[in-house]
Amino acid sequence: MKYEAVIGLEIHVQLNAATKLFCDCPNRPGDAPNRNVCPVCLWLPGALPRLSQEALEKAVLGCLALNCTIQNESAFDQKVYYYPDLPKGYQLSQHHKPLARNGWVDIVGPDGGLKRLCIHHIHMEEDVAKLVHETEGRTPISLVDFNRAGTPLIEIVSEPDMHTPHDAMEYVKALRAQLRYTGSAECSLEQGTLRVDANISLRPVGTEVLNTKVEVKNMNSIHNVGDAIAYEIIRQTECLEKGEPIVLHTRLWDPERRVTAPMRAKFEGPCVPDPSVAPIVVTDVWLDAVRGRLPEMPARKSARFMETYGLEPDEAAAMSAERDLSEFFESVVERDLPPRKTAGWIASQLVPLLRERNRSVGQTHLTAERFAALLGALKKEIVNTQSAREILGQLLDSPDALEEIIQKGGHRQLSDTGDLETLVDRVLAAHPADVADYRSGNPKVLGFLMGQAMKASQGKANPKVLKALLAQRLG
Amino acid sequence: MPEVFTYRNDSPSRITPEGTLAGLRVAVQPNLAVRGWPCDAGSRALSGYTALQDATVIARLVRAGAVLSGSSRMAELGFGLTGDTSARTVVDGHADVALITDTMGEVRLAAAGAGLFGLKPTYGLVSRHGLAGLVPSMESIGLAGADPGRIAETLAVMAGADPDDPSMPDDCTAGFSAVPPSGTGSLTAGVIEENLTRLDPEERLVFDVGVARLEAAGVAIQTVNLADYGLFQDVHHLIAAVEASSSAGKFDGVRYGHRSAVGKNWNDMYLNTRAESFGSLIKPFLFQGAYFQFERYAAFENACRLRGRLVRAVDDLLGQVDLIVLPTRRPASDPKRAATIQATYAAFALTLPASVTGHPALQVPNPGLAAAQDTGLQLIGRRLDDGRLLAIGQHLSFAAREGR
Ligand SMILES: [Zn+2]
Repeated sequence: MKYEAVIGLEIHVQLNAATKLFCDCPNRPGDAPNRNVCPVCLWLPGALPRLSQEALEKAVLGCLALNCTIQNESAFDQKVYYYPDLPKGYQLSQHHKPLARNGWVDIVGPDGGLKRLCIHHIHMEEDVAKLVHETEGRTPISLVDFNRAGTPLIEIVSEPDMHTPHDAMEYVKALRAQLRYTGSAECSLEQGTLRVDANISLRPVGTEVLNTKVEVKNMNSIHNVGDAIAYEIIRQTECLEKGEPIVLHTRLWDPERRVTAPMRAKFEGPCVPDPSVAPIVVTDVWLDAVRGRLPEMPARKSARFMETYGLEPDEAAAMSAERDLSEFFESVVERDLPPRKTAGWIASQLVPLLRERNRSVGQTHLTAERFAALLGALKKEIVNTQSAREILGQLLDSPDALEEIIQKGGHRQLSDTGDLETLVDRVLAAHPADVADYRSGNPKVLGFLMGQAMKASQGKANPKVLKALLAQRLG
Repeated sequence: MPEVFTYRNDSPSRITPEGTLAGLRVAVQPNLAVRGWPCDAGSRALSGYTALQDATVIARLVRAGAVLSGSSRMAELGFGLTGDTSARTVVDGHADVALITDTMGEVRLAAAGAGLFGLKPTYGLVSRHGLAGLVPSMESIGLAGADPGRIAETLAVMAGADPDDPSMPDDCTAGFSAVPPSGTGSLTAGVIEENLTRLDPEERLVFDVGVARLEAAGVAIQTVNLADYGLFQDVHHLIAAVEASSSAGKFDGVRYGHRSAVGKNWNDMYLNTRAESFGSLIKPFLFQGAYFQFERYAAFENACRLRGRLVRAVDDLLGQVDLIVLPTRRPASDPKRAATIQATYAAFALTLPASVTGHPALQVPNPGLAAAQDTGLQLIGRRLDDGRLLAIGQHLSFAAREGR
């Protein structure tokens, strides 16, 4: 029998609000342990939760970016379970009345066509504390860091619309791009600000049976999401073929061994409406105001880039994928630089350098003004392409002015015909055999000689002038 | 007899000696946070816990010139009145007003047992910030005292919007004025027929005396019907137990309070701590709540639906009459001696309705009767009608003094 996978994802995203969800403590889980705590997030007797308006707005922006309908009324429930990472004995989460429902994202399917994947709902909840269990030594010790307790999360629950690891990976990427655009969340799987839980079940192809699902956790990169799902599909297929029943349970992805392994069953507690957090009632006026803060999203921006700047579809998509880069692109183009050439330089030169440094453009010394000046120098043939690449790296890493970098690095392009003539003559004199070879009708040697001449100029020669001179001298 | 106070304030601060409550002595229960005072809510779960900041109501009272005389004894986590000494702080002359958290009728029953007035304010009128409570959707910081006028003045200081308690309903944020909205004349009070039929002849007799006092004060009496009257107890019991179970979830010994000395690992520590933390009355109540949370959630949802129906039914009645009258207590069951959940609910049977619906309720003593005989008169008013109830109480009090 042939099986088909049915995949649903539950994704937790940390909102980058300044404070925790129900108190004024800084939302900085990474600080020294138990630095960011107060009576509310430690849940001292008599404390009451105060919902952060900023977190609510950021959550709503995220929901709008994922095309969800914000519910007129949503409310918090107590998800009850007893564990030292939960100061209240329950987690405040929106179980019965989530913030938003019915969203979607579009992905590019394996056939290249657009595929719409649906979101069942998005709810807000508070994160739990961090536990360290030290089991070595005579007495086991458990340490609790409450910095993370109460920090704001949204959980995005997909419909079981996905069938392949590809679908799941593209879904996570699309969702991440949309959320990052809103500025509400960093969405890094690596740093745990976006956490993916996958529910995977198999069913005979062509049926609509709902089979037992297995939950897989602990994938800390997009690739791990794909690999873990692929592994789990094979594992379950083998189980079914051997006639072993699939039991409902949770497995952890082990990125070292590249397998999933069962984890200790986590207790699922009940959800009781919370009497202390007032229901969230969203008015049209408020929602319109928040909607107004939603930036132009990538799909629309991409279309505008094609229309306004004449970019090709793939160029426009690349220039609009990340919000900061798209704003950088526009800011450069507004300084009277040719859009397509700018886009090309950003995509082929700047992006790889940023990736190497694992930084966003805002985290470097490069500004649109500096980048525009560099492209201007290239256009005016003050520097050549090769030098420009090198200079770009320095513009990213040091605050030095462009002029200074060019001067200090001796990057100024040699265009002076007199100087270059001397240089060309020296190169030709050093390679008599190659010169003879060229003159006897082998044009390929020109490339070699050109390379030697460029090298002799330490990469600074104006290639156009150099090439003309070579041709003239050899001719 | 045990000491009335668990903590006595020997150096009362007088920040505002000329405030509206200048010189008023207020006693609290140890579930209300007063900075630096023990705050154990009568439970081993919080043994050794000291409040870090003042509850909102405490800060407001002190700012208005009130003097905090001390902290009384209370039933564990405020469930019932077993071992409670809060009303005695007033009777023995240590305080003018005692703050008693009312979850199922505690302030009203404590007052009734001591011949005092006892007000459970409209739910949400008074901030719960700093109250180590048990049943968040029902509890209200109540006031007991001999003088309804002083209760009104004290409530006026305590009531009103508090940014630290965003759960307060919008209609309560305007606060409360010690001056009642209108006079007491031409009022009608409803006597619930379904309640009357549950009273034994002696209770009926005492109740009729109280109703006659109301009538003599010019209030028209009318018999009304509340078909669902029998539901209050089960609805209260189920919802209160579930909320109590949630509220007590924080007592795990991780951050404060009692922590068991035995245990191989965190899980053992957790289980032993919780096992050792609670007494014999509250523990089964928490178990019952957990049972409904985990095993019978549909029953809990049903109770919430019925609660909504009861609120509407009482609101409807209060559309026909200005207030509802019930006795406050049943002499046969002493809430201070209740050792089981069943006995506790039996003792509080008459005060549960206003706890379930959130309406304000005032216990009025009958000075013509011996304290053991007096079952008290309980006036239930419309939301935010606390001032009017107290004005009626004041009126009855004057009338009694003048021997009418
Ligand atoms: Zn905090």
